[in-house]
Amino acid sequence: MATARIRETVRRRSPRVPRSAGEWRIMTLTGLGLLVLLTIHMIANHFVVKSVGGLRDYRQVLAYIANPVIFTIESLFLLFVTVHAMLGLRSVLLDLDAGPRLHRWIDRGLALLGLATLAYGYFLIGTLASRA
Amino acid sequence: MSGRELPGTERRGDDGPVLRKGVGIPASGWFDPRGRALGGFAFAVNRVTGLGLVAYLYLHLAVLSMLLRGESAWSGFLRLATNWLFLSLDVLLIFGILYHGLNGIRVALVGSGVVPDRQKALWWALGVIGTITLAFSALHIYGSR
Repeated sequence: MATARIRETVRRRSPRVPRSAGEWRIMTLTGLGLLVLLTIHMIANHFVVKSVGGLRDYRQVLAYIANPVIFTIESLFLLFVTVHAMLGLRSVLLDLDAGPRLHRWIDRGLALLGLATLAYGYFLIGTLASRA
Repeated sequence: MSGRELPGTERRGDDGPVLRKGVGIPASGWFDPRGRALGGFAFAVNRVTGLGLVAYLYLHLAVLSMLLRGESAWSGFLRLATNWLFLSLDVLLIFGILYHGLNGIRVALVGSGVVPDRQKALWWALGVIGTITLAFSALHIYGSR
């Protein structure tokens, strides 16, 4: 009872909204997904290519991204990394003790940035795959 | 006041840093790891690497945009990207990815209650794995020259 009263007092005093369980779960799941996808991305993209720095030339990149399995992996990777990055940025920004009004703007701004990132990323992947 | 106050009650009104034990740091000042426990230091580095990786995400998209301009633009970038300085930045990037990823595993394991009381041991164990992986990656990257 006393603990609940203290928690309520702290919540009313602090304008900072604590990270919800749902947000933590999404962050963790996208993080775990990223570990798998990033490992595949790094090995397939940089560690199997016999060139300086493991970088593919133009033709190799187009052939690589046109592979349906790679295309799917890279598309998922883009989705996971964008969601994870936007939630991470949100967490850092909300740590600055933003008020409710600024909090809403941060949410809207990051949603827009995330959507723009996904749109441009998919445009890039799609265009390159179509050139192969 | 009664004689049965909780310890530290008289300091509640004081200004200044809140000293606490365990994971997590106060809302402000996370970027200053001085005087913090291992959990606070790990959290600060996790945030710095996270912000660096977000910056890299957009840099990566900008670099990949060169592919849209054709073969000559990409070949020009490859000449720049295969010099020693650029490859060193690749090693720094891999450090950021490894730290953020492995620390993320630690946070997930501790936060989900799988190993709530082993955060220090996990930090060191994953640190060893990360260091070995980073050394292997650096050898691979510099060895490709």
